[in-house]
Amino acid sequence: MGLYNNNIKSNGSLFARNGLIITCLLLFAAATIFPIYFMIISSFGDPVEAGAMSYSILPSKISFESYKFFFNFSSHSWDWLINSFIVAACITVSNVFFATLAGYAFAKMRFKGKGILFAILLGSMMIPTQVTQVPLYILIVNVFELQNTYTALIMPSLVTVYNIFLVKQFMSSIPVEIIEAAKIEGCSQPKIFWHIIMPLSKTVMAVLAILTFMAAWNDFFWPFLVTNTMDMQTIQVGLKNFRFANTTYFAPMMAGATISAVPMFILFFSLQKYFLEGVAVGAVKG
Amino acid sequence: MKKRSVSALLLSSIMMVSLLSACGGNANNTADSGNSGSAGNSGGGVKKDTITALLPPVSANYQARFADMEQEFNTLHPNLTLKIEPASWEDMTQKLDTQVNAGSPPDIAWIGASGLSKYAALNVLIDLNTVLSDEIKADYDEVPMKYFQLGDAQYGLPAYMEIHTIGGNKQFLEEAGIDWKSIQQNGWTYEEFRDAISKGVVKNDSGETTRYGFVFATSGVASKDYLAILAKTAGLPDYFDNDLKYTYTSKKFLGLLTAIREMVDDGSMPKELSSIDAGKRWNMFLTGQTMITGKGLSAFENSARLNNEKIKANDGSAVADSIEVDYISLPVPTFNGADYIPTSIVDGYIALRGKKEPSEEHIKNIALAMNFLSSGSIAANYSNELFLTPITESGRKAEVLEQFPRNEDNVAAGQAMMAKALPARTDIPTDLAAEAIKIETEVIIPKLQALLADEITPQEMYDAVKAAAVKSFGEDGVVVD
Amino acid sequence: MNQMLTKRKKLKLESDSGWGYAFIAVALIAFSLFTAYPVINAFIISLQEYGPLGSTYVGLENFVNTFADELFWKALKNTLVYTLLTVPFNIFLSFLIAILIMPFKKKTQSIFKAVYYLPAVASGVSLAVVWLWIFDPLKSGIANQLVGLFGIDNQNWLGSSATSMFSLVLMSWLSSHGTAIIIYLAALLGIDNSYYEAADIDGATFLQKLWFIVIPFLKPTTLFLLVTGVIGSFQVFQNAYLMTGGGPDHATTMVGLLIFNNAFTYFEFGEAAAQSLLLAAVIALISFLQFKFLGKDIEY
Repeated sequence: MGLYNNNIKSNGSLFARNGLIITCLLLFAAATIFPIYFMIISSFGDPVEAGAMSYSILPSKISFESYKFFFNFSSHSWDWLINSFIVAACITVSNVFFATLAGYAFAKMRFKGKGILFAILLGSMMIPTQVTQVPLYILIVNVFELQNTYTALIMPSLVTVYNIFLVKQFMSSIPVEIIEAAKIEGCSQPKIFWHIIMPLSKTVMAVLAILTFMAAWNDFFWPFLVTNTMDMQTIQVGLKNFRFANTTYFAPMMAGATISAVPMFILFFSLQKYFLEGVAVGAVKG
Repeated sequence: MKKRSVSALLLSSIMMVSLLSACGGNANNTADSGNSGSAGNSGGGVKKDTITALLPPVSANYQARFADMEQEFNTLHPNLTLKIEPASWEDMTQKLDTQVNAGSPPDIAWIGASGLSKYAALNVLIDLNTVLSDEIKADYDEVPMKYFQLGDAQYGLPAYMEIHTIGGNKQFLEEAGIDWKSIQQNGWTYEEFRDAISKGVVKNDSGETTRYGFVFATSGVASKDYLAILAKTAGLPDYFDNDLKYTYTSKKFLGLLTAIREMVDDGSMPKELSSIDAGKRWNMFLTGQTMITGKGLSAFENSARLNNEKIKANDGSAVADSIEVDYISLPVPTFNGADYIPTSIVDGYIALRGKKEPSEEHIKNIALAMNFLSSGSIAANYSNELFLTPITESGRKAEVLEQFPRNEDNVAAGQAMMAKALPARTDIPTDLAAEAIKIETEVIIPKLQALLADEITPQEMYDAVKAAAVKSFGEDGVVVD
Repeated sequence: MNQMLTKRKKLKLESDSGWGYAFIAVALIAFSLFTAYPVINAFIISLQEYGPLGSTYVGLENFVNTFADELFWKALKNTLVYTLLTVPFNIFLSFLIAILIMPFKKKTQSIFKAVYYLPAVASGVSLAVVWLWIFDPLKSGIANQLVGLFGIDNQNWLGSSATSMFSLVLMSWLSSHGTAIIIYLAALLGIDNSYYEAADIDGATFLQKLWFIVIPFLKPTTLFLLVTGVIGSFQVFQNAYLMTGGGPDHATTMVGLLIFNNAFTYFEFGEAAAQSLLLAAVIALISFLQFKFLGKDIEY
């Protein structure tokens, strides 16, 4: 079907082709996941101080001591996970909705100043974060006085330019004819968006959700800046508490990293089906 | 059409606001502007006030005791609240610096005394001289106290003082015929040290080194420590001499750089030294891959002992492939025939102000809280966990929560080295200090990394540092010999 | 295909002004508060000697100093080298993998996607620790054991100027391409089967289909990945910061790291702002060129 030829006659050569591809994919996969593999097996080590980094590829033993250590380390270990979830979920919902809306407008609607506005948005992506960090901190903490609140954690990421850009690029491949046809039949733009664009954009929305959730979940620096009590910290900030002056609790840190990665897997697999459905652009053949 | 689009605009704004407030409603802790710098609203005789502090995990159980510390302070001073923000070591500086730059720093922050001039240059430090009582001042040892002074101003209080040493494996030292007890008391010269570490090298049948004589963590910014510690005993105790001339242009510096290269070329130190980090070299020490390691801290004795116990217990919890090690604390050798001056590191607390001018009352309260954190039982406990002697009289008298076994020889060696510690220089102007730090980060550290990787010669590095120093301080501003 | 595009362009659409503004309203408000305002602030700071308790206006001094700073140019060169070595190759790799995954069953596809995506979900700091371990300079290190198989002596990966940049590049090649792969796959699934069917009737080979259908169709996606990839790569500083500290001898000092150091090590906030604006200008120029030369026949 599709891109790949089905006119390969013998099963043998089909098998050979797929075998070859699988081998390539597996080799690269092995190289890519090696650090993760190492992270996970190290997390089963004992909570020993610095220098305990094992130099063997296979785990010498499996123990859950480090996981226990992680949860016993602070009474706020669970708070960190819950905080991360609340923050990432809010950011994801608002990004998926507002970025899709704005991305659609920039891709398919005609209005004055569209080009300039989009250029400004793009331009802003180019300023390194180190410099906008202090003004943003002043705004949130000194002007709005929001430090140590969920609002402060969520607000700056409400809708990101990257996401708008991503949606816009995706929407460029939706044929204008669909929208035109809907307009001729008297559909208003919100209706078009809701009944035509949204269903067609499930894939990009799922991609957006995963990427945003991941970015919010893994964000370290901003939560670190605006939180000042343990119970408001997110998991990434909490994880860093495992590093002491001259020692690092390596195994518990890896256990924490593994724990923090698990929600991402769950999200990833639960959104998987949307990727595979694909965009039903076939709606307008010819 | 127009009307509907306006309503849509409204609708979407409402959605945004409701989203925000929904999430904001979950916040357990609404904004608390305790660090605003002014004493809180008056309410009768004693004014209520909140003091904020940003603190790292100083010792293993320090952060765990924060809640107790806050409560105890409140019991002592019912009108005052101490609010402690925890931060990890590596992110501490960046968080503090962002808050300082935004004009809303915590009242108290933990820094290494070497960073004092950086904050002084921004005019964000508060002089506590007038609000600290003589009684409090007398509680602190003079040497560490000076580390938090610039000119006449007392910008903070020291928390502990620690000597950077090097640490040896007792068994290996004895095998190499080194009289470590004598060295602990009398020190050693570079020539003696060079000979000793080359004797410590062990090779296998195919000529590969299985044990080095000396390994120091020099990866990345740690290389700064390596050079600074050696420079102290090479006749270059500070960047500036008493006439405020930059000292690293002296021939002594070239001599030190030559020695650094020699130890690697001899095969006594690994040629990959430039990317060995703190964790790696400690692992090498515990697994018997090196006789001596640096830098050494008093608490390492405890880490080694704990690992020995795990080896004995034989339950697989010890560091993989490690051997039983008796940690022996040793002084850094002296170079160029110079006197032994230990690298004494003092960390402590500084008092900070934001955009708002703090009231006299508030400054007094900051001093109270700061003294509370750096003396008495709090100081006794973190010092104890770090294997250090408290630097306050009250700390030395206070009870500690846990007793650790100590190696008496190491304790004696520590005291001998501590006795030679010099007080900090308080006469170096902040702009000179800032310029020296810039040379350090932009020239000295990168070139040192290249020197360790055998990419440049000691002479080339010396020339580069000299050129940068002359550019910054002029021909007259540097030492020529 | 091309005919269709031109046809589309000819279609005159009535203006959607009102709704257009409504659709972007929230995005725009959030943008102006949390992005535009700090950026404008950065502009102002770049003309100042910044101090938390009050700044002094110094005109273009920060820019002049930056231009005279050798280190800035060296960092810019390093950044350029890093970008050229990583971004195009990584995009090519992601494209290749996305194409290679296509012929398999849904289940196999999801397994591979998940595997390639894995490194992205772990925190960068934890992974940097693991990579430090891989690049262990002694013989026992993984990377050294690997080159040892080919009879090469152990390398001081991150500690020598000859290999430190390469080590960071290698790390980028082997770290997560999951995001790009997923974006590519989503776009690939968006290509309607009828195009392939038509091509099959014409007897097109696999490569012809790739060249005439897939690559043109994925052009907006590729451009997106290229532009954001270059922007990201120019701002990259975490790995250099965590793994080499910019060394040895500034061999891995990138502009991002330089700006970070200026802002938070020296408190030279004005200079950091000036440098970041110059960096932004460079990125803008490169993005503009990318749009101009690669984005020609993409419809907006």
